[in-house]
Amino acid sequence: MTTVLRLSLRQLGSRWRLLLVVALAALPVGLTALLSASQGDDSVDSAFFTNVLLDGLLMAVILPIVTIVLATASFGNEVEDRTLSYLTLRPVSRWLIALPKALAPFIIAGPVMAVSCAAVVLIGGGGILGSELVASDNVGLAILAAGVSALTAAAAYTAIFTWAGLAVSRALAFGLLYVFVWEGVVTTFLGGVRYFSVRAYSLAILNGIDGSTFESLEGRVIELPAAVVGVVVVVAAFFLLTVRQLRRMDVP
Amino acid sequence: MTTSGGGVTIDVRSVSKWYGNVVAVNEVSARVGPGITGLLGPNGAGKTTLLHMIAGLAAPSDGEVLALGEPVRDNPPLYRRIGFMPESESVYGMLTGRGFVELAAELHGLDPVGPPVERALETVGLSETQGRATGTYSRGMRQRARLAAALVNDPELLLLDEPLSGTDPRQRIEIQDVMRRLASRGRTVLVSSHILEEVEVVADNILLMVAGKLAASGNLAAIREKLDERPYHVRVVCGSSRSMAAALIGLDAVGSVTVDDESSLTLLTDSIAALQRSLPRLAKERDIRLFRVEALDESLESVFGYLVEGR
Repeated sequence: MTTVLRLSLRQLGSRWRLLLVVALAALPVGLTALLSASQGDDSVDSAFFTNVLLDGLLMAVILPIVTIVLATASFGNEVEDRTLSYLTLRPVSRWLIALPKALAPFIIAGPVMAVSCAAVVLIGGGGILGSELVASDNVGLAILAAGVSALTAAAAYTAIFTWAGLAVSRALAFGLLYVFVWEGVVTTFLGGVRYFSVRAYSLAILNGIDGSTFESLEGRVIELPAAVVGVVVVVAAFFLLTVRQLRRMDVP
Repeated sequence: MTTSGGGVTIDVRSVSKWYGNVVAVNEVSARVGPGITGLLGPNGAGKTTLLHMIAGLAAPSDGEVLALGEPVRDNPPLYRRIGFMPESESVYGMLTGRGFVELAAELHGLDPVGPPVERALETVGLSETQGRATGTYSRGMRQRARLAAALVNDPELLLLDEPLSGTDPRQRIEIQDVMRRLASRGRTVLVSSHILEEVEVVADNILLMVAGKLAASGNLAAIREKLDERPYHVRVVCGSSRSMAAALIGLDAVGSVTVDDESSLTLLTDSIAALQRSLPRLAKERDIRLFRVEALDESLESVFGYLVEGR
Protein backbone atom coordinates (compact mmCIF):
# COMPACT_ATOMS: atom_id res chain seq x y z
CA MET A 1 0.00 0.00 0.00
CA THR A 2 2.83 2.40 0.77
CA THR A 3 4.14 1.96 -2.78
CA VAL A 4 0.89 3.20 -4.30
CA LEU A 5 0.58 5.93 -1.65
CA ARG A 6 4.06 7.25 -2.39
CA LEU A 7 3.35 7.16 -6.12
CA SER A 8 0.01 8.96 -5.69
CA LEU A 9 1.50 11.67 -3.47
CA ARG A 10 4.19 12.31 -6.07
CA GLN A 11 1.58 12.44 -8.82
CA LEU A 12 -0.60 14.90 -6.91
CA GLY A 13 2.34 16.90 -5.65
CA SER A 14 3.05 18.64 -8.91
CA ARG A 15 4.06 22.25 -8.40
CA TRP A 16 1.14 23.89 -10.21
CA ARG A 17 -1.42 21.77 -8.40
CA LEU A 18 0.05 22.49 -4.97
CA LEU A 19 0.27 26.18 -5.80
CA LEU A 20 -3.38 26.20 -6.81
CA VAL A 21 -4.40 24.37 -3.64
CA VAL A 22 -2.41 26.69 -1.38
CA ALA A 23 -3.66 29.79 -3.21
CA LEU A 24 -7.27 28.64 -2.86
CA ALA A 25 -6.78 27.83 0.82
CA ALA A 26 -5.10 31.18 1.45
CA LEU A 27 -7.89 33.18 -0.19
CA PRO A 28 -10.38 33.11 2.73
CA VAL A 29 -7.54 33.63 5.21
CA GLY A 30 -6.43 36.73 3.36
CA LEU A 31 -9.99 37.98 3.07
CA THR A 32 -10.59 37.47 6.79
CA ALA A 33 -7.36 39.25 7.63
CA LEU A 34 -8.33 42.15 5.40
CA LEU A 35 -11.77 42.46 6.95
CA SER A 36 -10.39 42.12 10.44
CA ALA A 37 -7.74 44.75 9.89
CA SER A 38 -10.04 47.24 8.22
CA GLN A 39 -13.17 46.65 10.28
CA GLY A 40 -14.09 49.70 12.22
CA ASP A 41 -17.85 49.32 12.40
CA ASP A 42 -20.33 46.49 12.91
CA SER A 43 -21.16 45.70 9.28
CA VAL A 44 -19.40 42.36 9.64
CA ASP A 45 -21.05 40.57 12.53
CA SER A 46 -20.87 37.02 13.81
CA ALA A 47 -23.64 35.88 11.49
CA PHE A 48 -21.86 37.32 8.46
CA PHE A 49 -18.58 35.73 9.49
CA THR A 50 -20.14 32.30 10.04
CA ASN A 51 -22.64 32.24 7.20
CA VAL A 52 -20.72 34.03 4.47
CA LEU A 53 -17.01 33.59 5.16
CA LEU A 54 -16.93 30.24 6.89
CA ASP A 55 -19.89 28.50 5.30
CA GLY A 56 -20.57 30.33 2.03
CA LEU A 57 -16.94 30.70 0.95
CA LEU A 58 -14.86 28.09 2.78
CA MET A 59 -17.16 25.12 3.28
CA ALA A 60 -19.34 25.57 0.22
CA VAL A 61 -16.76 26.60 -2.37
CA ILE A 62 -13.05 26.50 -1.46
CA LEU A 63 -12.97 23.19 0.38
CA PRO A 64 -14.91 21.20 -2.24
CA ILE A 65 -12.92 22.75 -5.10
CA VAL A 66 -9.60 21.89 -3.43
CA THR A 67 -10.72 18.29 -2.96
CA ILE A 68 -12.04 18.13 -6.53
CA VAL A 69 -8.70 19.31 -7.89
CA LEU A 70 -6.81 16.66 -5.94
CA ALA A 71 -9.16 13.70 -5.67
CA THR A 72 -10.43 13.55 -9.24
CA ALA A 73 -6.81 13.48 -10.39
CA SER A 74 -5.91 10.63 -8.07
CA PHE A 75 -7.21 7.99 -10.48
CA GLY A 76 -8.16 10.39 -13.25
CA ASN A 77 -4.58 10.96 -14.38
CA GLU A 78 -4.01 7.24 -14.77
CA VAL A 79 -7.28 6.69 -16.61
CA GLU A 80 -6.43 9.55 -18.95
CA ASP A 81 -2.79 8.53 -19.48
CA ARG A 82 -3.68 4.84 -19.75
CA THR A 83 -1.22 4.00 -17.00
CA LEU A 84 -3.77 2.37 -14.70
CA SER A 85 -2.80 -1.10 -15.93
CA TYR A 86 0.59 -0.61 -14.25
CA LEU A 87 -1.30 -0.82 -10.95
CA THR A 88 -4.20 -3.13 -11.71
CA LEU A 89 -2.21 -5.89 -13.43
CA ARG A 90 -0.27 -6.57 -10.27
CA PRO A 91 -1.00 -9.16 -7.60
CA VAL A 92 -2.48 -6.55 -5.29
CA SER A 93 -6.01 -6.55 -3.85
CA ARG A 94 -8.17 -3.86 -5.38
CA TRP A 95 -8.83 -2.24 -2.00
CA LEU A 96 -5.09 -1.91 -1.46
CA ILE A 97 -5.00 0.17 -4.63
CA ALA A 98 -8.16 2.17 -3.84
CA LEU A 99 -7.22 3.02 -0.25
CA PRO A 100 -3.92 4.82 -0.92
CA LYS A 101 -5.46 6.46 -3.97
CA ALA A 102 -8.15 7.95 -1.71
CA LEU A 103 -5.75 8.68 1.14
CA ALA A 104 -3.27 10.68 -0.96
CA PRO A 105 -5.62 13.58 -1.81
CA PHE A 106 -6.90 13.60 1.77
CA ILE A 107 -3.36 13.76 3.16
CA ILE A 108 -2.85 16.97 1.16
CA ALA A 109 -6.32 18.52 1.22
CA GLY A 110 -7.25 17.64 4.82
CA PRO A 111 -4.44 19.46 6.68
CA VAL A 112 -4.33 22.36 4.22
CA MET A 113 -8.05 23.03 4.59
CA ALA A 114 -8.03 22.41 8.34
CA VAL A 115 -5.28 24.97 8.71
CA SER A 116 -7.14 27.37 6.43
CA CYS A 117 -10.36 27.05 8.45
CA ALA A 118 -8.51 27.27 11.75
CA ALA A 119 -6.63 30.36 10.58
CA VAL A 120 -9.85 32.04 9.48
CA VAL A 121 -11.40 31.42 12.90
CA LEU A 122 -8.23 32.46 14.71
CA ILE A 123 -8.05 35.74 12.82
CA GLY A 124 -11.79 36.37 12.83
CA GLY A 125 -12.43 35.30 16.40
CA GLY A 126 -9.20 36.26 18.08
CA GLY A 127 -9.04 39.74 16.71
CA ILE A 128 -5.28 39.39 16.33
CA LEU A 129 -5.20 41.69 13.32
CA GLY A 130 -7.68 44.21 14.60
CA SER A 131 -11.35 43.78 15.33
CA GLU A 132 -13.09 40.51 16.19
CA LEU A 133 -15.37 39.42 13.38
CA VAL A 134 -17.07 36.76 15.44
CA ALA A 135 -17.87 36.80 19.14
CA SER A 136 -16.30 33.79 20.79
CA ASP A 137 -15.99 32.87 24.44
CA ASN A 138 -13.45 30.19 23.64
CA VAL A 139 -11.40 30.81 20.50
CA GLY A 140 -9.48 27.56 21.02
CA LEU A 141 -12.68 25.54 20.89
CA ALA A 142 -13.86 27.46 17.83
CA ILE A 143 -10.56 26.74 16.08
CA LEU A 144 -10.86 23.05 16.99
CA ALA A 145 -14.43 22.96 15.65
CA ALA A 146 -13.36 24.57 12.37
CA GLY A 147 -10.40 22.21 11.96
CA VAL A 148 -12.37 19.04 12.71
CA SER A 149 -15.22 20.19 10.51
CA ALA A 150 -12.84 20.84 7.60
CA LEU A 151 -11.11 17.50 8.06
CA THR A 152 -14.34 15.51 8.06
CA ALA A 153 -15.69 17.38 5.04
CA ALA A 154 -12.39 16.83 3.22
CA ALA A 155 -12.60 13.10 3.99
CA ALA A 156 -16.13 12.83 2.62
CA TYR A 157 -15.47 14.93 -0.49
CA THR A 158 -12.23 13.05 -1.14
CA ALA A 159 -14.05 9.72 -1.08
CA ILE A 160 -16.70 11.00 -3.50
CA PHE A 161 -14.31 12.62 -5.96
CA THR A 162 -11.78 9.79 -5.92
CA TRP A 163 -14.58 7.51 -7.04
CA ALA A 164 -15.65 10.07 -9.65
CA GLY A 165 -12.11 10.23 -11.06
CA LEU A 166 -12.33 6.51 -11.73
CA ALA A 167 -15.94 6.11 -12.74
CA VAL A 168 -16.99 9.35 -14.44
CA SER A 169 -15.51 10.37 -17.76
CA ARG A 170 -15.61 14.12 -17.00
CA ALA A 171 -14.93 13.94 -13.30
CA LEU A 172 -13.97 17.60 -12.89
CA ALA A 173 -17.22 18.80 -14.47
CA PHE A 174 -19.15 16.23 -12.45
CA GLY A 175 -17.50 17.48 -9.26
CA LEU A 176 -18.27 21.12 -9.94
CA LEU A 177 -21.84 20.30 -10.88
CA TYR A 178 -22.25 18.24 -7.74
CA VAL A 179 -20.84 20.98 -5.51
CA PHE A 180 -22.73 23.91 -6.98
CA VAL A 181 -26.03 22.23 -7.80
CA TRP A 182 -26.42 19.60 -5.10
CA GLU A 183 -24.45 21.05 -2.20
CA GLY A 184 -24.96 24.69 -3.16
CA VAL A 185 -28.58 24.83 -4.25
CA VAL A 186 -30.62 21.68 -3.65
CA THR A 187 -29.56 20.93 -0.09
CA THR A 188 -29.67 24.59 0.85
CA PHE A 189 -33.27 25.07 -0.09
CA LEU A 190 -34.68 21.61 0.56
CA GLY A 191 -34.27 20.95 4.27
CA GLY A 192 -35.04 17.23 4.08
CA VAL A 193 -32.12 16.38 1.82
CA ARG A 194 -29.58 18.01 4.14
CA TYR A 195 -29.08 14.57 5.61
CA PHE A 196 -27.40 13.73 2.28
CA SER A 197 -25.16 16.78 2.15
CA VAL A 198 -21.47 16.86 3.04
CA ARG A 199 -21.69 20.61 3.58
CA ALA A 200 -24.53 20.05 6.08
CA TYR A 201 -22.41 17.46 7.89
CA SER A 202 -19.51 19.92 8.18
CA LEU A 203 -21.76 22.71 9.51
CA ALA A 204 -23.37 20.33 11.99
CA ILE A 205 -19.95 19.32 13.29
CA LEU A 206 -18.89 22.96 13.50
CA ASN A 207 -22.00 23.87 15.44
CA GLY A 208 -21.95 20.65 17.45
CA ILE A 209 -18.46 21.26 18.81
CA ASP A 210 -18.86 24.99 19.42
CA GLY A 211 -22.53 25.97 19.40
CA SER A 212 -21.79 29.23 21.15
CA THR A 213 -19.44 30.78 18.58
CA PHE A 214 -21.35 29.45 15.59
CA GLU A 215 -24.84 29.91 16.98
CA SER A 216 -26.01 31.61 13.76
CA LEU A 217 -26.01 28.15 12.19
CA GLU A 218 -28.80 27.10 14.57
CA GLY A 219 -31.96 26.26 12.74
CA ARG A 220 -30.27 25.10 9.55
CA VAL A 221 -28.00 22.34 10.79
CA ILE A 222 -28.80 18.69 11.25
CA GLU A 223 -28.11 16.80 14.47
CA LEU A 224 -24.44 16.11 15.28
CA PRO A 225 -24.82 12.29 15.52
CA ALA A 226 -26.58 12.25 12.16
CA ALA A 227 -23.72 14.26 10.68
CA VAL A 228 -21.07 11.93 12.08
CA VAL A 229 -22.93 8.88 10.79
CA GLY A 230 -23.41 10.64 7.46
CA VAL A 231 -19.68 11.28 7.04
CA VAL A 232 -18.84 7.68 7.95
CA VAL A 233 -21.46 6.32 5.54
CA VAL A 234 -20.33 8.57 2.67
CA VAL A 235 -16.66 7.71 3.14
CA ALA A 236 -17.36 3.96 3.44
CA ALA A 237 -19.90 3.85 0.61
CA PHE A 238 -17.77 5.71 -1.91
CA PHE A 239 -14.67 3.74 -0.93
CA LEU A 240 -16.55 0.50 -1.59
CA LEU A 241 -17.88 1.91 -4.86
CA THR A 242 -14.30 2.74 -5.87
CA VAL A 243 -13.14 -0.80 -5.10
CA ARG A 244 -16.11 -2.20 -7.01
CA GLN A 245 -15.42 0.05 -9.98
CA LEU A 246 -11.79 -0.99 -9.98
CA ARG A 247 -12.81 -4.63 -10.08
CA ARG A 248 -15.45 -4.29 -12.76
CA MET A 249 -14.20 -1.62 -15.12
CA ASP A 250 -12.41 -2.19 -18.38
CA VAL A 251 -8.99 -0.69 -17.77
CA PRO A 252 -7.97 1.44 -20.75
CA MET B 1 -6.81 -24.49 -32.38
CA THR B 2 -3.57 -24.55 -30.41
CA THR B 3 -0.84 -22.51 -32.02
CA SER B 4 1.96 -24.59 -30.63
CA GLY B 5 2.63 -28.14 -29.71
CA GLY B 6 3.05 -27.65 -25.94
CA GLY B 7 0.45 -27.24 -23.20
CA VAL B 8 -2.19 -24.58 -23.39
CA THR B 9 -1.22 -21.32 -21.68
CA ILE B 10 -3.95 -19.12 -23.10
CA ASP B 11 -7.41 -20.49 -23.74
CA VAL B 12 -9.80 -18.09 -25.42
CA ARG B 13 -13.28 -19.60 -25.57
CA SER B 14 -15.82 -18.06 -27.94
CA VAL B 15 -14.98 -14.60 -26.75
CA SER B 16 -16.80 -11.52 -27.99
CA LYS B 17 -16.53 -7.93 -26.94
CA TRP B 18 -18.84 -5.16 -27.97
CA TYR B 19 -19.15 -1.50 -27.07
CA GLY B 20 -22.74 -0.43 -27.68
CA ASN B 21 -23.44 -1.42 -31.27
CA VAL B 22 -19.78 -1.79 -32.18
CA VAL B 23 -18.42 -5.32 -32.13
CA ALA B 24 -14.70 -5.17 -31.40
CA VAL B 25 -14.10 -8.91 -31.08
CA ASN B 26 -16.49 -11.44 -32.54
CA GLU B 27 -16.67 -15.06 -31.34
CA VAL B 28 -12.94 -15.65 -31.17
CA SER B 29 -11.63 -19.01 -29.97
CA ALA B 30 -7.93 -19.75 -29.76
CA ARG B 31 -5.47 -21.72 -27.70
CA VAL B 32 -1.88 -20.63 -27.36
CA GLY B 33 0.98 -22.64 -25.92
CA PRO B 34 4.59 -21.95 -25.00
CA GLY B 35 6.77 -20.22 -27.57
CA ILE B 36 6.19 -17.04 -29.49
CA THR B 37 2.85 -16.44 -31.13
CA GLY B 38 2.15 -13.39 -33.22
CA LEU B 39 -1.21 -11.66 -33.00
CA LEU B 40 -1.49 -10.01 -36.39
CA GLY B 41 -4.04 -7.79 -37.97
CA PRO B 42 -4.58 -4.30 -39.31
CA ASN B 43 -5.28 -1.37 -37.02
CA GLY B 44 -8.79 -1.68 -35.64
CA ALA B 45 -8.89 -5.44 -36.10
CA GLY B 46 -9.47 -6.04 -32.39
CA LYS B 47 -5.96 -7.14 -31.40
CA THR B 48 -5.63 -4.78 -28.44
CA THR B 49 -9.13 -5.58 -27.21
CA LEU B 50 -8.35 -9.31 -27.37
CA LEU B 51 -5.02 -8.80 -25.59
CA HIS B 52 -6.76 -6.75 -22.90
CA MET B 53 -9.23 -9.57 -22.36
CA ILE B 54 -6.40 -12.12 -22.20
CA ALA B 55 -4.61 -9.93 -19.65
CA GLY B 56 -7.77 -9.50 -17.59
CA LEU B 57 -7.97 -5.76 -18.18
CA ALA B 58 -11.27 -6.01 -20.02
CA ALA B 59 -14.21 -8.29 -19.38
CA PRO B 60 -15.53 -10.25 -22.36
CA SER B 61 -19.11 -9.42 -23.28
CA ASP B 62 -19.48 -13.12 -23.99
CA GLY B 63 -17.24 -16.15 -23.65
CA GLU B 64 -14.37 -16.86 -21.30
CA VAL B 65 -10.60 -16.43 -21.15
CA LEU B 66 -8.28 -18.68 -19.17
CA ALA B 67 -4.63 -17.90 -18.68
CA LEU B 68 -2.30 -20.47 -17.16
CA GLY B 69 -5.37 -22.58 -16.43
CA GLU B 70 -7.27 -19.97 -14.42
CA PRO B 71 -9.89 -17.35 -15.22
CA VAL B 72 -7.86 -14.23 -15.70
CA ARG B 73 -10.43 -11.53 -14.97
CA ASP B 74 -10.36 -10.09 -11.43
CA ASN B 75 -7.77 -12.64 -10.34
CA PRO B 76 -4.90 -10.58 -8.83
CA PRO B 77 -2.89 -13.59 -7.53
CA LEU B 78 -2.60 -14.82 -11.13
CA TYR B 79 -1.00 -11.54 -12.21
CA ARG B 80 2.13 -12.61 -10.34
CA ARG B 81 2.75 -15.00 -13.27
CA ILE B 82 1.85 -12.62 -16.09
CA GLY B 83 3.74 -9.76 -17.70
CA PHE B 84 1.87 -7.24 -19.83
CA MET B 85 3.20 -4.41 -21.89
CA PRO B 86 0.38 -2.14 -23.04
CA GLU B 87 0.31 -0.40 -26.39
CA SER B 88 0.04 3.03 -24.78
CA GLU B 89 3.40 4.75 -24.55
CA SER B 90 2.55 6.46 -21.29
CA VAL B 91 4.74 5.93 -18.27
CA TYR B 92 4.96 7.75 -14.95
CA GLY B 93 7.06 10.61 -16.25
CA MET B 94 8.22 11.76 -12.82
CA LEU B 95 9.78 8.38 -12.04
CA THR B 96 13.23 7.40 -13.20
CA GLY B 97 13.60 4.36 -15.42
CA ARG B 98 14.73 2.41 -12.40
CA GLY B 99 11.93 3.81 -10.26
CA PHE B 100 9.39 2.76 -12.86
CA VAL B 101 10.66 -0.83 -12.88
CA GLU B 102 11.00 -0.82 -9.07
CA LEU B 103 7.35 0.19 -8.82
CA ALA B 104 6.40 -2.93 -10.79
CA ALA B 105 8.73 -5.10 -8.70
CA GLU B 106 7.35 -3.78 -5.40
CA LEU B 107 3.77 -4.28 -6.52
CA HIS B 108 4.67 -7.84 -7.51
CA GLY B 109 5.91 -8.31 -3.95
CA LEU B 110 9.47 -9.14 -5.02
CA ASP B 111 11.92 -9.11 -2.12
CA PRO B 112 14.61 -8.00 -2.49
CA VAL B 113 13.69 -5.65 -5.29
CA GLY B 114 17.21 -4.80 -6.47
CA PRO B 115 18.40 -7.91 -8.34
CA PRO B 116 15.28 -8.49 -10.49
CA VAL B 117 15.11 -4.76 -11.31
CA GLU B 118 18.76 -4.70 -12.37
CA ARG B 119 18.27 -7.87 -14.40
CA ALA B 120 15.23 -6.45 -16.21
CA LEU B 121 17.00 -3.15 -16.93
CA GLU B 122 20.04 -5.03 -18.19
CA THR B 123 17.87 -7.22 -20.42
CA VAL B 124 16.37 -4.24 -22.22
CA GLY B 125 19.60 -2.24 -22.27
CA LEU B 126 18.55 0.57 -19.95
CA SER B 127 21.12 0.11 -17.20
CA GLU B 128 23.09 3.19 -18.14
CA THR B 129 20.11 5.52 -18.32
CA GLN B 130 18.15 4.07 -15.39
CA GLY B 131 18.68 7.21 -13.30
CA ARG B 132 16.98 9.53 -15.78
CA ALA B 133 13.32 10.49 -15.46
CA THR B 134 11.22 8.51 -17.92
CA GLY B 135 9.61 11.78 -18.92
CA THR B 136 12.89 12.68 -20.62
CA TYR B 137 13.22 9.32 -22.40
CA SER B 138 12.87 8.91 -26.13
CA ARG B 139 9.97 6.85 -27.44
CA GLY B 140 12.19 3.79 -27.86
CA MET B 141 13.58 4.14 -24.33
CA ARG B 142 10.10 4.41 -22.87
CA GLN B 143 9.20 1.31 -24.85
CA ARG B 144 12.10 -0.56 -23.28
CA ALA B 145 11.29 0.72 -19.79
CA ARG B 146 7.76 -0.63 -20.19
CA LEU B 147 9.17 -3.94 -21.39
CA ALA B 148 11.50 -4.09 -18.37
CA ALA B 149 8.50 -3.50 -16.06
CA ALA B 150 6.70 -6.38 -17.79
CA LEU B 151 9.73 -8.66 -17.40
CA VAL B 152 10.66 -7.86 -13.80
CA ASN B 153 8.58 -10.68 -12.30
CA ASP B 154 10.04 -13.23 -14.76
CA PRO B 155 6.55 -14.02 -16.08
CA GLU B 156 5.42 -17.38 -17.41
CA LEU B 157 3.13 -15.55 -19.80
CA LEU B 158 4.23 -12.36 -21.50
CA LEU B 159 1.71 -10.28 -23.42
CA LEU B 160 3.19 -7.56 -25.61
CA ASP B 161 0.98 -5.08 -27.42
CA GLU B 162 2.83 -3.59 -30.38
CA PRO B 163 6.19 -3.73 -28.55
CA LEU B 164 8.25 -2.89 -31.60
CA SER B 165 6.50 0.28 -32.65
CA GLY B 166 8.74 3.30 -32.23
CA THR B 167 11.91 1.28 -31.90
CA ASP B 168 14.90 1.60 -34.17
CA PRO B 169 16.24 -1.47 -36.03
CA ARG B 170 18.85 -2.23 -33.37
CA GLN B 171 16.33 -1.98 -30.54
CA ARG B 172 13.93 -4.12 -32.55
CA ILE B 173 16.51 -6.88 -32.83
CA GLU B 174 17.22 -6.64 -29.09
CA ILE B 175 13.56 -6.91 -28.16
CA GLN B 176 13.12 -9.81 -30.57
CA ASP B 177 16.10 -11.48 -28.88
CA VAL B 178 14.43 -11.02 -25.49
CA MET B 179 11.33 -12.76 -26.83
CA ARG B 180 13.41 -15.62 -28.22
CA ARG B 181 15.25 -16.10 -24.93
CA LEU B 182 12.00 -16.25 -23.00
CA ALA B 183 10.52 -18.71 -25.49
CA SER B 184 13.60 -20.91 -25.28
CA ARG B 185 12.94 -21.17 -21.53
CA GLY B 186 9.46 -22.54 -22.18
CA ARG B 187 7.65 -19.25 -21.60
CA THR B 188 4.66 -18.13 -23.63
CA VAL B 189 5.00 -14.87 -25.50
CA LEU B 190 2.01 -13.41 -27.33
CA VAL B 191 3.05 -10.39 -29.35
CA SER B 192 0.71 -8.20 -31.34
CA SER B 193 1.64 -6.22 -34.41
CA HIS B 194 0.11 -4.81 -37.54
CA ILE B 195 3.33 -5.42 -39.42
CA LEU B 196 3.93 -8.97 -40.58
CA GLU B 197 7.68 -8.63 -40.96
CA GLU B 198 8.07 -7.62 -37.33
CA VAL B 199 6.51 -10.81 -36.13
CA GLU B 200 7.38 -13.44 -38.70
CA VAL B 201 11.07 -13.35 -37.81
CA VAL B 202 10.32 -14.46 -34.25
CA ALA B 203 6.95 -16.20 -34.31
CA ASP B 204 6.32 -19.60 -35.81
CA ASN B 205 2.65 -19.35 -35.12
CA ILE B 206 0.17 -16.60 -35.61
CA LEU B 207 -3.35 -15.56 -34.79
CA LEU B 208 -4.59 -13.42 -37.65
CA MET B 209 -7.40 -11.05 -36.75
CA VAL B 210 -9.44 -9.14 -39.25
CA ALA B 211 -12.49 -7.01 -38.44
CA GLY B 212 -12.84 -8.50 -34.96
CA LYS B 213 -12.72 -12.08 -36.15
CA LEU B 214 -10.01 -14.67 -36.11
CA ALA B 215 -9.28 -15.04 -39.83
CA ALA B 216 -6.60 -17.67 -39.41
CA SER B 217 -4.48 -19.29 -36.74
CA GLY B 218 -1.63 -21.75 -36.59
CA ASN B 219 1.66 -22.15 -38.38
CA LEU B 220 2.50 -19.13 -40.50
CA ALA B 221 3.85 -21.08 -43.50
CA ALA B 222 0.82 -23.37 -43.54
CA ILE B 223 -1.53 -20.38 -43.44
CA ARG B 224 0.25 -18.77 -46.36
CA GLU B 225 -0.18 -21.95 -48.40
CA LYS B 226 -3.78 -22.37 -47.42
CA LEU B 227 -4.62 -18.80 -48.31
CA ASP B 228 -2.89 -19.09 -51.64
CA GLU B 229 -5.21 -21.98 -52.50
CA ARG B 230 -8.41 -20.12 -51.70
CA PRO B 231 -10.38 -18.51 -54.50
CA TYR B 232 -10.85 -14.78 -54.16
CA HIS B 233 -13.32 -12.41 -55.77
CA VAL B 234 -11.52 -9.40 -57.14
CA ARG B 235 -13.00 -6.33 -58.80
CA VAL B 236 -11.01 -4.63 -61.52
CA VAL B 237 -11.93 -1.09 -62.56
CA CYS B 238 -10.25 -0.16 -65.83
CA GLY B 239 -10.61 1.69 -69.14
CA SER B 240 -12.25 -1.21 -71.00
CA SER B 241 -13.67 -4.08 -69.00
CA ARG B 242 -14.51 -6.22 -72.06
CA SER B 243 -10.98 -6.11 -73.48
CA MET B 244 -9.53 -6.76 -70.03
CA ALA B 245 -11.93 -9.69 -69.49
CA ALA B 246 -10.83 -11.25 -72.77
CA ALA B 247 -7.21 -10.99 -71.70
CA LEU B 248 -7.78 -12.26 -68.16
CA ILE B 249 -9.78 -15.33 -69.11
CA GLY B 250 -6.68 -16.78 -70.73
CA LEU B 251 -4.75 -16.78 -67.43
CA ASP B 252 -4.44 -20.03 -65.49
CA ALA B 253 -4.91 -18.20 -62.21
CA VAL B 254 -8.30 -16.83 -63.23
CA GLY B 255 -11.32 -19.11 -62.91
CA SER B 256 -14.10 -16.91 -64.19
CA VAL B 257 -14.70 -13.32 -65.23
CA THR B 258 -17.95 -11.36 -65.05
CA VAL B 259 -18.24 -8.01 -66.79
CA ASP B 260 -20.21 -5.70 -64.49
CA ASP B 261 -20.29 -2.68 -66.79
CA GLU B 262 -18.06 -0.91 -69.33
CA SER B 263 -15.38 -0.09 -66.80
CA SER B 264 -15.73 -2.78 -64.14
CA LEU B 265 -15.38 -6.55 -64.01
CA THR B 266 -15.30 -9.15 -61.24
CA LEU B 267 -13.08 -12.20 -61.44
CA LEU B 268 -12.45 -15.30 -59.39
CA THR B 269 -8.83 -16.24 -58.83
CA ASP B 270 -7.04 -18.86 -56.77
CA SER B 271 -3.74 -17.03 -56.86
CA ILE B 272 -3.56 -13.41 -55.91
CA ALA B 273 0.20 -13.42 -56.41
CA ALA B 274 -0.12 -14.63 -60.04
CA LEU B 275 -2.86 -12.09 -60.67
CA GLN B 276 -0.72 -9.32 -59.24
CA ARG B 277 2.10 -10.23 -61.61
CA SER B 278 -0.06 -10.61 -64.70
CA LEU B 279 -2.58 -7.81 -64.43
CA PRO B 280 -0.26 -4.82 -65.01
CA ARG B 281 1.47 -6.66 -67.88
CA LEU B 282 -1.85 -7.44 -69.61
CA ALA B 283 -3.06 -3.88 -69.15
CA LYS B 284 0.13 -2.52 -70.64
CA GLU B 285 0.06 -4.91 -73.61
CA ARG B 286 -3.51 -3.95 -74.47
CA ASP B 287 -3.12 -0.30 -73.60
CA ILE B 288 -5.89 -0.41 -70.98
CA ARG B 289 -5.74 1.98 -68.05
CA LEU B 290 -6.12 0.35 -64.65
CA PHE B 291 -7.96 2.47 -62.09
CA ARG B 292 -8.55 0.15 -59.17
CA VAL B 293 -8.04 -3.47 -58.14
CA GLU B 294 -9.80 -4.53 -54.98
CA ALA B 295 -10.67 -7.67 -53.11
CA LEU B 296 -14.41 -7.77 -52.49
CA ASP B 297 -14.23 -9.46 -49.12
CA GLU B 298 -12.91 -7.04 -46.51
CA SER B 299 -11.35 -9.78 -44.47
CA LEU B 300 -9.65 -11.29 -47.47
CA GLU B 301 -8.38 -7.90 -48.50
CA SER B 302 -6.63 -7.65 -45.20
CA VAL B 303 -5.36 -11.18 -45.51
CA PHE B 304 -3.94 -10.25 -48.88
CA GLY B 305 -2.29 -7.30 -47.30
CA TYR B 306 -0.69 -9.26 -44.55
CA LEU B 307 0.14 -12.56 -46.03
CA VAL B 308 0.49 -12.06 -49.75
CA GLU B 309 1.50 -8.49 -50.32
CA GLY B 310 3.43 -8.46 -47.07
CA ARG B 311 2.35 -5.01 -45.99
